[in-house]
Amino acid sequence: MTAAPGVSMRGVVKRYGDTVALNGLDLDAAPGEILGVAGPNGAGKSTMVKILAGEVPRDEGDIYVDGRPWSDEYGSNRVAVVHQEPQLFPNLTVAENVIAGFEDRGWQWPKLGEPHQALFAQLGIGRHRDRLVGELGLAVQQRTEIVRALARDARVMLFDEPNSALTPDESADFFRLIRQLAESGCVVMLISHRLTELAANSDRVAVILDGRCVRVLEGAERTPVNIAETLVRGLGGTPAGEGTAGGRSAAADASALELVELSDRLAAFRSLDFSVPRGAVTALIGVEGSGAREIVRACGGLRRVHGRILVDGREVRPAQLHRHVSYVAADRAASLFGNLSVGENLVIRMDREISRGALGLRPRRMRMIAERLRTEFQVKSASIDIGIRSLSGGNQQKVAIAAAVGAKPQVLVLEEPTRGVDISSKAEIYEILRGFAADGGTVLLFCTEVPEVYEVADRLHVVSDGRLSAPLEVAAFGDMEALAKGVAALETHGAALRSA
Amino acid sequence: MHDGRPLRFTASMTNLAQNIAAVLAPARERGGRLGLAWTTLARIGGVTLAVLIVGLFFEIRTHGQLLISDNILTILRGLSTTAIMGFGLTVVIVAAEIDLSFAAVYGLSTNIVAVLWLTHGFPIYVAILIAFVAAILVGVFNAFFTSVVKIPSFIATLGSSTLVFGLTLWIGQTQNLSYQYPPTGQTVAHGQVTFFRNLGSGALPGKFPEQGIWALVLLVVFSLLLTRTLFGFRLKAIGGSRAAAEVVRLPVKKYTFLAFAICACTACLAGLLDFSFVGTAGPNDGSVYLFPVFAAVIIGGASLAGGKGSAIGTMMGALLLAVLANGVALIAAGPFASQLLLGTVTVGAVVIDRLTSRQRSLT
Repeated sequence: MTAAPGVSMRGVVKRYGDTVALNGLDLDAAPGEILGVAGPNGAGKSTMVKILAGEVPRDEGDIYVDGRPWSDEYGSNRVAVVHQEPQLFPNLTVAENVIAGFEDRGWQWPKLGEPHQALFAQLGIGRHRDRLVGELGLAVQQRTEIVRALARDARVMLFDEPNSALTPDESADFFRLIRQLAESGCVVMLISHRLTELAANSDRVAVILDGRCVRVLEGAERTPVNIAETLVRGLGGTPAGEGTAGGRSAAADASALELVELSDRLAAFRSLDFSVPRGAVTALIGVEGSGAREIVRACGGLRRVHGRILVDGREVRPAQLHRHVSYVAADRAASLFGNLSVGENLVIRMDREISRGALGLRPRRMRMIAERLRTEFQVKSASIDIGIRSLSGGNQQKVAIAAAVGAKPQVLVLEEPTRGVDISSKAEIYEILRGFAADGGTVLLFCTEVPEVYEVADRLHVVSDGRLSAPLEVAAFGDMEALAKGVAALETHGAALRSA
Repeated sequence: MHDGRPLRFTASMTNLAQNIAAVLAPARERGGRLGLAWTTLARIGGVTLAVLIVGLFFEIRTHGQLLISDNILTILRGLSTTAIMGFGLTVVIVAAEIDLSFAAVYGLSTNIVAVLWLTHGFPIYVAILIAFVAAILVGVFNAFFTSVVKIPSFIATLGSSTLVFGLTLWIGQTQNLSYQYPPTGQTVAHGQVTFFRNLGSGALPGKFPEQGIWALVLLVVFSLLLTRTLFGFRLKAIGGSRAAAEVVRLPVKKYTFLAFAICACTACLAGLLDFSFVGTAGPNDGSVYLFPVFAAVIIGGASLAGGKGSAIGTMMGALLLAVLANGVALIAAGPFASQLLLGTVTVGAVVIDRLTSRQRSLT
């Protein structure tokens, strides 16, 4: 059909049962350019990636590579995918992960070749080469995946939220790297929810909605605002970027959750005194290793600690904490049960509501509650009886949060509540959290991104070296820039300002 | 407003009745008793198909001998021991654990009862109680090393299985004891013999095997337990994702203890029912059941990865094995044939189940 170099998709359709994942997708990607792909969760981005990588067959449509029909074999050999959640062998070393499946030493235990060594150096993970992947942080794991893709000599590189766990500096390096890849003649697609990055680092941005490419933004058109507008207009909502920080009450007074002299057994933080007010959203922000994540986990009862935790002024033992506090993990796999249906996941945290005593489960009541939560939290799923895995990432996260809120806790504790979630789901999740706080609940978040804090939180503590800064009122900052500056200042001089 | 008790009692009885009705008719809303039974069978599709195929094969080979009523009752008795222990093992496997010690617990219980009752003159009721306490202790031992010390349950129960077997040999002194012919110098009260015999081999109308009744009652009990109780619901979740269970703070430890204790209790019960039926207890009691029970549970659709399994599936698995054993015996094909068929059917049924369930769960 087309003789143009690169990948062309024409009218690609993929159905999963009654759900149409791709509904006639047309998309072209040429070598030498970086094609950005934006779209809400469930729009079909992941399905497109799977089809190109030969992981699932398409139902209809044609795909051409350099004018020739695409084959499954090409997909599995020359198309490399760098995933959002690294898909590696945790029990092998970084080097072994890179060569696994492509060993070239016959029956011998494989060894790393010279070209690969250079790649390690290029991505700056040379010193981790002989460590087990399972022991390393997410950032190094993702770099390992990138190295693996590069080592495969792939022609088409698909990056699915590749830098969601990288620091800003690492991300900058990463984008330089994919630019080099593109210039060396690879077809590069960058799939991301971070619109600013998409706009800055791609040559064209394709917006996918409901399994179709609705618009391709080129040149001066590809601004974050334009992308956001295209996305949101298609979904009939308001852009999440338009902050609500102004009309926020700071009426939060009573402390619902208090930590007294709390120390982590593994020394992530020490003799911490911290109180979280009722009726407000409090955020902790801090880089990986600052202790912010660990503090939030301790509030969820998931870390072994010394010291006291008080809920509404009364001391609660960690083992009983879950009666008052609902915790939602950053990793969706850790908050949801893959073998249960959407409805079952929604009610899994309840006991008396769904059962008379330990026996006598009430299936009809479970269905009723699940239906109510599904409607209330706008979970997009065909029914509550389908498996949780068939939902998109954003909807899975909504189920996880709905289940946590549905258990009627006094305190809701969340770790990176919108990691890997599209902007329209993001806006809905923020609304849920704000609503929970407005109804007199208490919300504590761990965030890594300032925009998220600006969007949803009333007050904020910056965490560095296991210590908290004095609280900042988000409303006191005029705009996001000012807030970001304030946070950066506290992160760099955290200890000094804390005592002030 | 009301004096709660009788009202609550009736309420709980209606609830129970509703639950039983719900289990027997799990998809009422889709209409029709028949449609119902069909969906249930379809859910355990592979094993149902295998039972039909194997049944049909032997029915033809034996010229109709398989399905005469006497033989059907024989099959029912044959499956009951496997099914009863299988129900307990299903509970453990749904929780994503493994129990290799149930066969040893079976032997422990028969030997405890035989020794206490027949050589030490304890009343049978006390002996049975002690056997159950011992079984529960084995379950607690398994759960302790699995969920507190955090040793993989495969290792923990492999160890406890051997330990329990050693204990059994010590208690029973490797002798065979019969309650119809007690050891010389010992007398056993007639009433107690009658009571014990009636546990597992009482005379029922139509020569219906009493062990079959036990199996059918426990089928209903375990179906309710796994599908209509908070315990079953949460156990399935715990088996599906241990990580999520920790985050959601489900009572993982408590449920692990309960699951292992339940499994040990079903093994103890199965042992005592067989002792009652056969009349003798010996050192090797139970050991032959290790593989068939596992096979029944796995054939019945339970996943060793956890989070999946049903009592009716296990029952069908046990039925398949019983039909197979019975059919092979009827055509007198020799001992190798039943082993060959057992192996083939175990793999085959799981393959069929995998194929049928792939279409049901997308992505």
